[in-house]
Amino acid sequence: MTPHPDPERFRAQVAALQVALDGGDAAGFRHAFELLCTEMDSGLLPELKRITATAQSALARFSAEARLDVLAGHEVPDARKRLTHVVKLTDEAAHRTLDLVERCGPLVDEAARSSTLLLEAWNSHGSSDAAIAALWPDRAAEFLKRTRTDSEALRANLSELLMAQGYQDITGQIIRGVILLVDELEKVLGKLVQIAEGIEVTSLVRSLPVQPEWERGLGPQVAGIANGDAVSGQDDIDALLSQMAAGK
Amino acid sequence: MSNKLKFLVVDDFSTMRRIVKNLLQELGYSDITEADDGNTALPLLKSGSFDILITDWNMPGMPGLDLLKAVRADEKLAKMPVLMLTAEAKREQIIEAAQAGVSGYVIKPFTAVTLKEKLDKILAARAAA
Repeated sequence: MTPHPDPERFRAQVAALQVALDGGDAAGFRHAFELLCTEMDSGLLPELKRITATAQSALARFSAEARLDVLAGHEVPDARKRLTHVVKLTDEAAHRTLDLVERCGPLVDEAARSSTLLLEAWNSHGSSDAAIAALWPDRAAEFLKRTRTDSEALRANLSELLMAQGYQDITGQIIRGVILLVDELEKVLGKLVQIAEGIEVTSLVRSLPVQPEWERGLGPQVAGIANGDAVSGQDDIDALLSQMAAGK
Repeated sequence: MSNKLKFLVVDDFSTMRRIVKNLLQELGYSDITEADDGNTALPLLKSGSFDILITDWNMPGMPGLDLLKAVRADEKLAKMPVLMLTAEAKREQIIEAAQAGVSGYVIKPFTAVTLKEKLDKILAARAAA
């Protein structure tokens, strides 16, 4: 698209200018001059467009490459740590769940065993086997006592099982953050491919969605990732809120 | 008396809503409604007669902080106890939530004991008000 300045293109206008000048024809001179300017502008405009496009492309490339640098240098390694943390959390939650199921098993087995023995004694009650029948009241009392204790333990285990499922919320938030990162990475790489192929990039990379502000929420803290001024746990939060309340 | 309280639990993860709902039921509360973000919660709050709001922070649509501010800005809802139940742990966030008028702040992952403690504290303050 680069124009090739060709003096021959202006020969007719220059000749007309010369004729008008020699003849003292002011109107003719102005007209020839305007024609000459128009001819020159017609070559200048594409050149200006080309320079603008090149500048825009360079800006887009710079923005894309700068963002890619941040993504590759920090956010992708951070994402790796986040996903490793997800693996750790799911592993812990699965083991915690299995531990609790294994703890519940013997309690249920014992209830089944005791109730079977109790039923045997009950069925013998009033029968000729007085020795077995005589065992029933004591066994019934023992069974009820044991069942009460085991039921409380079962309830506690069920509550812990419930809380163990909280991992899904935490890991889900982390994975959503990584999905956003992959999405942005795809767009930045897409822009770079467009630039490399000479396709006009209409929007600069900085128009891509930016990270949500902390007001919208940042998600769970992940060990090994710079987390700025974060609290260490519930006690820290309680202390902070107490300080604020005392300062009012 | 207290178990007649009406709760609205707002979280974009249904698993967390179920966990909180089950914990509340274990504590004796049975009137529990769920919403998945501030945009769905706010109309429910305005049209219902909820006693306590328990909300997450990081949600698509309207986040919990905006919901808290909307509640405090609404004449009818302004005094409703709001418990923030969230993984957001930046000091500036907690300060912002406190300044916006949060009644309690529980960090995830949390324990049943912590939730009960904060609820008891909120209910005591509500009763004293």
